[in-house]
Amino acid sequence: MRDYLDETSIKLRRERSNTPASGRPFVLALVLCLVAGALIILDRQGMITPLRLLIQQSVAPAAQTLTELRDQAGALASAPRSEADLRARIDVLEQQNSQLMAENLRMQQDQVENTSLRQQLQIQREQPWRLLGAEVTVRPPDAGRRVITVSRGTTDGVRVGMAVIGQNPGGPAALVGIVESTGAHTAELLLITDFSSQVSARVIHTARAGLGLVQGQWQQGSRLRLAQVDRSTLIAHGDAVVSAGLTGSLHVPLDLAAVPANIPIGSVETVSTSGQEQSAELRPFVDPDQVRYVWVILSQDA
Amino acid sequence: MGDTQPRRLEELLAREIGLILAIGGIALVQVTLLATPLGFSAPLLLVLAICRTLIGVGSAFPDSGVMRGLRWSLYGGISLDILAATPLGSHALAMLLAAFAVAALTRRLRIEGPLLPLLATLAGSLIYESVLALLIQPGPIDWASTARVALIPGVLAALILSLPAFFGLRWMLRAQL
Repeated sequence: MRDYLDETSIKLRRERSNTPASGRPFVLALVLCLVAGALIILDRQGMITPLRLLIQQSVAPAAQTLTELRDQAGALASAPRSEADLRARIDVLEQQNSQLMAENLRMQQDQVENTSLRQQLQIQREQPWRLLGAEVTVRPPDAGRRVITVSRGTTDGVRVGMAVIGQNPGGPAALVGIVESTGAHTAELLLITDFSSQVSARVIHTARAGLGLVQGQWQQGSRLRLAQVDRSTLIAHGDAVVSAGLTGSLHVPLDLAAVPANIPIGSVETVSTSGQEQSAELRPFVDPDQVRYVWVILSQDA
Repeated sequence: MGDTQPRRLEELLAREIGLILAIGGIALVQVTLLATPLGFSAPLLLVLAICRTLIGVGSAFPDSGVMRGLRWSLYGGISLDILAATPLGSHALAMLLAAFAVAALTRRLRIEGPLLPLLATLAGSLIYESVLALLIQPGPIDWASTARVALIPGVLAALILSLPAFFGLRWMLRAQL
């Protein structure tokens, strides 16, 4: 009986039956289509959606594993097979690396420029100056003379005698030096700390301002000195010193004559009296040796 | 003798569950391993359902063979619906209609050579993709773009699979023919 049902019968019925086909497949197809249609309706109404989601969740780990397998196989298939392919791939990657490094550098430069421009904007909002930003390209080569070179020249409107300012984070924009000589695309600045630098200045003490002369003292072992202040002028530790702009206000065609008034220079550290004059050691607001980016004051609003 | 019928029922049930699990596994393979660069997976289950129906039509007991093909279609369609997150029954309905159409069209034909499986797959996959578009795509269907994006690539992928699937399946089921 069993043989008849399972093995022998199949072998015997290998030839196609000549009996006419019944309607059973049609009925089954209809029933199954109705089942599928009912499932669609029930799912759209949300009645069996939780069940579907539950089954989905249960097969998700297996699906993820298989997808990872496929991805790994794809990576293997696309991996270089010969040494030449490998070298070509390395060349492409090196090129990409080089491009990315250049792009990264450009972005870093843009970031630095952005920071400097923001600083410039802030200074211009606070002060009536028209500024030109410049990068310090060459620092003082020796201790004998305090000069730096910046990356702006006559083509950018830089002229001899113009004041140059810098700014430390959190401090005021303050005088760094004065343009001493210019090229087409570069300018040399004499730092205010150089012994040959002299700038007329005012020392501000409780709403009074006494005149004096700020002279560089680097070669003398310190930084700045305020000299030729009248003995009657009151000076104290911490008083601010700003440029007086006396030579600038005369509009005379002299070198080093275009320093506007009221550029912060430094603050008083110690005061000493000698005869009818007073002098003071100053701490500059901006250390000229530390600046990397400066601004040339091109002009001052009236 | 008394135990024969219950055991037979259990056996049938176990076979059916085994079939469902196997088809579920194939569906899992289809949606994961058989993904094509065109953004859809090769329609292995559809091709298998069509081939199973075609083999059933050509078997000694065509009714039983066709009904097996229809059951494959239902299980395969539901498995794809679960895995593809489409409304449950949509793949199943499309696959059932494709399989039934293949059975109806080839009922009086002699299943021989490679041409008939190819033509059956062509017709079946056209029906499948069209029904699926009608069921799944919201709003009015732009048939031109649907044909370009889904219909033609789907049919081509099915045609590529059809002959290996047909002859492979026929070899596997040779004892039942």
